[in-house]
Amino acid sequence: MATDGVVDAVKRVGLAAGARVVGVAAAAAFRAGVPEGFRPEDILPGARSVVVAGGDGPTAGAWRCPDHRVMEITGYDLRENVAIHAMCDYIERELGYYAVQAPSLPVHGHEPPMSMMHAAELAGLGTRSFAAHIILNPEYGLLYYAALITTLPLPADPPLAEPACPHPGCAAMYKRIGTTPCLRVCPACLSGTMKNARIETSTYDREKCHSRAQTYGIGSFQKALLAVVDEDDPARRRDMIHSDFFAKSVQSLGFFRDSIAQCFECMRVCPVGRKHRKLK
Amino acid sequence: MTDERAPAKGDLVGPATTSATARLKALALKSGATVVGVADAAAFDTHAPSKHRPADLLPGARTVVVVGGAQPRAGDWVATSPWLLSTMGTTERIQGVGRRIAQAIESELGYYALFVPPGTAAGDAPFLSLMLAAELAGLGTRSLAGPILNRDHGFMYWSAVVTTAPFDVDGPTTDAACPAPACRDMWEREHTTPCLRVCPLDAGGCLAGRLDDGHAVRTAYDAARCNTRVHTHWVGGFQKVLEETLNEPDRERRKMLVYGDFMTRTLWSITYSSTNIAQCFECMRACPAAHGLKEMR
Amino acid sequence: MTFFRLDPELYARHKDEILTLSNSFQRIDRRGLSDREIAERLGLDERTVTEIRVIAERDCYPLDEWQRAIDFKRKACSDWAAAALKRPDLREP
Repeated sequence: MATDGVVDAVKRVGLAAGARVVGVAAAAAFRAGVPEGFRPEDILPGARSVVVAGGDGPTAGAWRCPDHRVMEITGYDLRENVAIHAMCDYIERELGYYAVQAPSLPVHGHEPPMSMMHAAELAGLGTRSFAAHIILNPEYGLLYYAALITTLPLPADPPLAEPACPHPGCAAMYKRIGTTPCLRVCPACLSGTMKNARIETSTYDREKCHSRAQTYGIGSFQKALLAVVDEDDPARRRDMIHSDFFAKSVQSLGFFRDSIAQCFECMRVCPVGRKHRKLK
Repeated sequence: MTDERAPAKGDLVGPATTSATARLKALALKSGATVVGVADAAAFDTHAPSKHRPADLLPGARTVVVVGGAQPRAGDWVATSPWLLSTMGTTERIQGVGRRIAQAIESELGYYALFVPPGTAAGDAPFLSLMLAAELAGLGTRSLAGPILNRDHGFMYWSAVVTTAPFDVDGPTTDAACPAPACRDMWEREHTTPCLRVCPLDAGGCLAGRLDDGHAVRTAYDAARCNTRVHTHWVGGFQKVLEETLNEPDRERRKMLVYGDFMTRTLWSITYSSTNIAQCFECMRACPAAHGLKEMR
Repeated sequence: MTFFRLDPELYARHKDEILTLSNSFQRIDRRGLSDREIAERLGLDERTVTEIRVIAERDCYPLDEWQRAIDFKRKACSDWAAAALKRPDLREP
């Protein structure tokens, strides 16, 4: 097992490269909750550790914009991925252990080869929330996660003992009116109940959320393309092809940053981490 | 093309050229390149077709600075997930180095510099062959499987900058990485090599070749088939499935094509560049000269 | 080996169940099944399950839902700005 000095050095590399938070999970910890084929050891033989980096999303200023279309195409600098690359390079070049960036982009429909959300939970960086089961970091709230898998044995950080959700304010709100800010703003995608200030039940309609979180993207292009191809009338077909919806769908294919995340309404009303969005 | 005028003030000549070349190479390595070399722009003329030579891109070009790096890590090669190498492409990391060098040449030395865009000019033809550039800059040699292999680092990605700066030129290297000793032994025993065995042309693959007196000779390469493997989910795949869709008279079957796994995955690749850079590495995975040159734990 | 094409009847027969078993409609207390696990449960091959799931994810809601998404975000964002920034003029009429 690597010393604390080694794990601190790895984390420092990640933080210096732009990660907001870095945590470590044992590769074996994924076996309990992850089906075969999607575990770190299925990706890198001999995997011992998973290092997870969390990076910032939109700036505080972007959150205040009354026009939702700004954040639809803001994109991010994806620093958590840069941090992962920096740590991978360090582990291979300086420490001589195998390290790979965990493949996180969907390869069959909505399914990625490995869950970054679960990795963040196991690495003690956050807990699941009512809001689309998004992993909330207790200090920063919404962060974006990337991970690396390595044969380097690192001491793991424990999963958080206290959940970030519900926030005390949300618990108080639920007690008063039986709902929380996120559940109230998006009942189409979310539902849940609380008991003793803890999440009791929570459901999330991912397919409906997809139409909101990626309104313009791969899915909308497929939907619109099929409609175009099925349309027999040339004039209507022309209108569809030149419509704002189709144009923005194609644009989001060309500029990937336009398609990363396009709905923030459950997070906009979430109080976790909000103190970091109060600036001058 | 050469400049016949007498050197003007600030032009690189003599020791200043050598010093500037060394400084540029140091910048390239500091910026993240694993290797850096310089090719003579005129050397492309005997190998590259017209319109794909340095002077076609930048009139007055004298040299081409080539950087290599951003290669898959040791862990990537030993990974058992088919998705790792094909969705976590790293070639863009070397493009950034190329761009930085181009800017440095212009701002610090005052010579024209053109970063060679890594895309294609038309169809599958690049503006300038980065593989040829790497060879002429002495950074590697062609392998039996095709990719340029560096003697010390194996398979890597390349970026090039065409410039009017008269940097000191590195000639092509004669120290070929391919065939590796293990491949020579295999040829003696089995009359094949790892890359030929994993992707043989006569069994539906892309490659045919032999070792002649210790030299690799590629006798055939099916580039069109290789394209279906390296870019399974990319522009060509999209065009194919779109054509099938338009030709399908049944609405429900059309839906199966448009919403299906192949189209969905292809659109992801079109959108996210790390997923379209290269989607087949099997000849290189099997190659003992491409990776695994450093012992890892 | 020819290009994989799914029979629309096979799709119609299994799409709802496969989507229900997958990660499309999530519960915080349990995970969805992988394509391989669904295939074992339904007696189908994994490739077919993957194809059905991928199509069904896209087919789940009609294109109208995308318009509802656009309207929802416009209203939710402006309503929040009106309240949080104390700018009632920003609220959508």
